[in-house]
Parts: sequence; structure tokens; C-alpha cells
Amino acid sequence: MTGTAGHQTVTPGRGRRRTVHLERWLPYAFVALPFGYLVLFMFWPLTDQMLMSFADTKLMNPNAGKFIGLDNYRRLVADPQFYTTLRITIVYTVLAVLFGVGLGVIAAFAIDRPFRGRAAVRAVLLFGWAVPGVAAALIWLWIFNLPSGVLNDITQAMGLGRLRWTNSLGLALPSILIVTVWQVSPFVMLVVLAALQSVPEEVREAARIDGADALNVFRNVTLPHILPTLQLVSLLIAVWSIRRFDVIYLLTGGGPIGSTSTLVVELRQTAFEDFNLGMASAYGAVGLVLALLVALVHFLFERHRARVMSR
Amino acid sequence: MTTRRRTLLAGTAALALSALVQGTPAWSQAKIELVIANSQWLDALRGAKLWAALEKYEQVNPNVDLVQEAVPSSDITTRLMTEMGAGLGPDIAIPQDALFVALAGAGFLLPLDDVAAGIPNLNATNDAGVLDGVRLGIAWQRSPYALIYNKKLLEQAGASVPTTVDELVAQAEKVSAATGAIGFAARHSTVETGWFLDFSNWAYGNGVNWVDAEGKLNVNTPEVAAAIADFAKMYHSGMIPIGDQMSTQRQRFKEGQVAFAIDASGGTLNIASGGAMPSTDLAAAPLPFPRPGAHQQIFVVLSKFSKHPEEARDFLRWLYSAEGQQSLREASGPDPLATDVPVSAEFIAANPWAPAFVEIGKTSRAILIPGHEVDTAAILRPVMEGVEKVLLGGATAEAAMAAAQAEIDSKFGRK
Repeated sequence: MTGTAGHQTVTPGRGRRRTVHLERWLPYAFVALPFGYLVLFMFWPLTDQMLMSFADTKLMNPNAGKFIGLDNYRRLVADPQFYTTLRITIVYTVLAVLFGVGLGVIAAFAIDRPFRGRAAVRAVLLFGWAVPGVAAALIWLWIFNLPSGVLNDITQAMGLGRLRWTNSLGLALPSILIVTVWQVSPFVMLVVLAALQSVPEEVREAARIDGADALNVFRNVTLPHILPTLQLVSLLIAVWSIRRFDVIYLLTGGGPIGSTSTLVVELRQTAFEDFNLGMASAYGAVGLVLALLVALVHFLFERHRARVMSR
Repeated sequence: MTTRRRTLLAGTAALALSALVQGTPAWSQAKIELVIANSQWLDALRGAKLWAALEKYEQVNPNVDLVQEAVPSSDITTRLMTEMGAGLGPDIAIPQDALFVALAGAGFLLPLDDVAAGIPNLNATNDAGVLDGVRLGIAWQRSPYALIYNKKLLEQAGASVPTTVDELVAQAEKVSAATGAIGFAARHSTVETGWFLDFSNWAYGNGVNWVDAEGKLNVNTPEVAAAIADFAKMYHSGMIPIGDQMSTQRQRFKEGQVAFAIDASGGTLNIASGGAMPSTDLAAAPLPFPRPGAHQQIFVVLSKFSKHPEEARDFLRWLYSAEGQQSLREASGPDPLATDVPVSAEFIAANPWAPAFVEIGKTSRAILIPGHEVDTAAILRPVMEGVEKVLLGGATAEAAMAAAQAEIDSKFGRK
């Protein structure tokens, strides 16, 4: 009996220790794989790239770069083309966010309420998001084509003549923006639609009973509810726009006369046409800083919103 | 137990004996693979023919398996640089001249003097394969540029073959007005990185030298301004389908929708093959400039990282033998080769445009800038942006080239 009792008291103790042990290490085990993935595929290459931006590494001999301090950054800030590239990147990003989010929100509101054929409309609207970037660029190259593009058939019918969409200084950036907005707005629509459908109907109903008109319901009930989603989606589109390459490269290659040359396009050119990996890494570092700044703005907004909510 | 051990020992001994009797062990009898990288393997029609020409070597040397590394031309520089930078990559590569010089500059290539010494009849296309007194490349093909045209369209319109740029513009307009065809096909924008290759014809045709007598880079000259003025005449005539990339324009040419183009022999062979327009409707003439134009040059090189350099050398000896060159000639169309192998009468009968390229190839100039071979593309980028400023931004050629010169000086030094 004693022995059995002793045995009974010992077993739960071991079990508890095992459980405590497991509880202590299990979270690390769960985190280990993604952490290893991030270190291997993100932090290591990122660190390597940052280090490379301080070296004169050439594509011809990537392992023979010598440390040159801040020389690449000095040359970067002394090059007027860098400021043009930076300005184009910022303009492109801001406009992509404004039009992408704006159009996506409008589309989300349009299909929020049930109507006949809503599923079909939603599927059609999603097309831009579903098509891969390279395919989208090639489709749009033909749409923009001067002698046989459908968009030029339309502008000609409207009496505007046939336009050099991707080959004129004034239209090249708007052209890549059209494609970008066509691509990202369906994503915004989907996300905002999900947020809209989670707005409690009874809260809207209560506001209406209290005498609020449609605009007031939107401003005081719907908008605060979807604002965090809008912030997040804006952040995502801003970061994607900073690093977007395929559409720009395939449609305009950064031209004409560098009028659509964003940081990423310039980076590719510097790395793979000038063979200058060190300088290209400096461009990459600037892009990273830009993306972090966008994230910082998002963070500040988020903190401000949290403070307002807690009052 | 003892019996089993004896059996085991006897078995092992028998195996060892049989291996000795048979000579070379089984694992070492595997064929040697020679990997050959080239963007041309992906050419729709020519790629298969070129590869078949090389594969004949497998009959000569059954112990070698030739393996393709097919890389799109837009990626081959990055791919080979990255692979060889990591000590990997193909045994043999077939790069264009700019990439050849870059690979040589990076120290990725093995000398081929011993191979070349065994080829008595190497022609002048090989001259640029010697760098600093060491032969690092042997010519694969030279692809000169010519004025090509659709004979049927010209006949329909009653147009003639032009000999000057003004005539070219006038005849393109005439054909376009009479038949509705596109007047002239050309790369015309920095969207296409290869624009500088084509523009070299307009430049050389006007007597441009990108370096002066002392070897200093000089792009702001009256000759460059004249070349830009010539190209601008054609651009503003409305004869070029603005926005169409060269691949699309070549496809339109194939379908009989284009009157004129300035294209290299490789591109012309592509246009002449597999489209609605028979090759016999295509013709070629000298460029409509006072002086000769440009050519693209492709070399064969041996990688320092080849696992089988001796076998690769043996393969090259065969490639530059009479048999190998004849095999390559049949697949190469009219391109001048490393040795003077005449284009066959059958090929000329089927492709009457071919002899013009052979003739033009005797006087055409390399696109690479002497003394700045590796940086040629990077040096000519500001130049092409300058040309674009004239075409689209209304800048004068002098102002655009002054800006290009300043950028080139700051990036490459006025050395």
C-alpha cells in the first residue's frame, strides 16, 4: 500500500515536471522554424546586402569586394539622378496608395450590399489581383500598343487620336499607375469588404434611429470600424509599390528618359548592367529605409488611434 | 558461420577479380558531360539547328554528352556572371562580345592559344578574341547589320532600294501609303536595352568614334549629332511603330507587314524563317549611310571552372576543324564564322538576302568601344537617354550630348 501510495505520489510529480518542461520549451520549438527561416532567408541576405553597400563589389567578382566605407553613399547623394529616382518612387507610391485604396474602397462599398450578379461582378473585379505581374504587364503592353492597342482604339474614337502611352514623358508614369491600380485595388476591395461586413448592423440601425443620415452613419460608425483595415492596407500597398519591379520594368524599363525609373529599377540597372553590386546595395538600403519610414508612419497612426480609443 | 564467411570472402574476391579483368570500374565509364551555355539555344528555329550541328560531335566522341544550358539573351550576362562568380557554371559558354570581355576581365576564362594554334585558317573575325596577348575566345559567329526589305511590298508600291536616310524615309512613306504596311522597323526607346546595338549603325554610318585619337571618351561630336538627326528624321516620319518592341516588329515583318528594317543577320534569319512571308521575298542591301555599320560578335570561351577542360578543348578542336565548321555553317545562315566556310548554293537559292550580309561583314565595325569594352553598354546608356531627350523632350543634340558627356565623365572619368 505504502509502495503503491509512494508510486502514486511520484508519478504525478514526474508528469508535472515533464509538463512544465514542455510548457517551457514548446513555444521556442514553435518559434524556432520561422525564426530559422527568417534568419536564413531574410536577415542574413539583408545583412549581407547592407555590408555590400560599404564595399566596391562587382558582379564579375562578387566575392572580391573591398571595404570602401561610405563611398557608395557619397556617390549616391552627389548624383542628381538619385534625387529624380527618389522623387519618382515617392510620387508613384503615394499615387498608387491613393488611387489603389480609393478605387478599392469604392468597389467594396459597391458590392457590399446584395444585388443580382454580385458574385460574378466580384469575380470580374478580382481579375487584376489574380493575374501574375508579368502576365499583367504583357496584357497591358498590348492594350497600350500604338498601332493596334484597344485603348488607342477608344481614344481615337473619342477624337483624342492614338497616344504613345508608355513612350511619352507625360503618359509613361500614368500608364504604369493605371496597371498598378488595376492590380492592387481588387485586393483592397476584398479586405475592405471583409471589414465592412463585420460592422455590426445593429449599431448602424441604432444610429439611424437616433436620426443620423447616411453620411453620418458612414462617418461615425462605418469609417471608425474600417479605419484600422484601411491603414494596414495602405501600408501594404505603399511597401509593395516601393519594391514593385515587374510591371514597371516590362512596361517602360524605367524610361523614357528615366521618367519611370524607381529605386528598384535603378537598382537592377546598377547591378546587372553596370555590374556594380556595391552601389546597387546602396540603392537597396535607401529602399529599405523608405519602407521602414512608411512602417513608422503606420505605427505612429496606430499609436495615436489606440490613445484616442483608450480615452 | 565459417562456411558463410568463406562464401563471403570468395564472393568478394570474385568481384574484385572480375573488376580487374574488365579494366575500368563501372562508375568511371559514365559519359563526360560538357555543358555549353548559349542564348541562341532558345531561338525558335535556329536554336535546334545549331544544337544539332554541335551534337554531331557525340558521334565523333561517344564518351562525351553535350548538355545545353539555354539562357534567355536578356539574362545571360547576369546568369554567367553569377554562376562563374560562385565558381560554377558551364564548361563552355558562347557569349556576345561585351560579355566575353567582362568574363575575361573577371579572370573566369582559360586561354585557348593551344586550340587556336591547331587551326591554320582562323580569319579576322577572331582578332578580338585575343586580350592582352592571350587568346581567350574563338569566334562563333559574326552578325553584321544590313538594310533589309520586303521585295513584294516595294514592287507593289513601285518603291526603290534607298541609299541615303532621306531616301529611306521617302521610300518607307511611299510603301506605307501604297500598301498600308509599317514603313520601318527599329528599336527606338531605352525600354529595350539593345537599342544602343542598333543605333551603333546610325552612329558608325555617320563616322562616329566614341573615343578620340587619344583614347578619351568623346560622345559630344558633330558626327554623333548627325547620327541623332538622321534617326530623328525617321522617328518623326511616323514610319516606326512606336511602342512595339523589336520581337513584335520582327514578327510583323515575318507576316509581311513591314517594308524596311535595319537588322543583324541573326534577326534577319529569324524573320526569314517560319513566317507567312517566304524567305525569297526578303532582300538585303548595304546600310543607307556613307560609311560601314556595326556587327555583333559572338565568341566561344572555356570556363576556368570547367570540370573537364581537356575534353572541352578536344571538343573545340573538332568545332574548328573543317568538319565542325561545315556542320556549323549549315545552321548559321549567312553569319561569317571563325574560318572562311562559304555559304552553300542551296542556302543562297532559298535565302537570296544572305550574300549581302557576307559582303557587309567584311567592313563592319565592332560595337564595343576600344579601351572601354566592358563598360560599353553603361557608357552608351547616357548617350541613348540623350537621343531619347532629343526625340521626346525636344532637346538639341548638342545639349543632350553635352549632358551625356558630363555623366560619362563623372562615372567613367575622362580617361
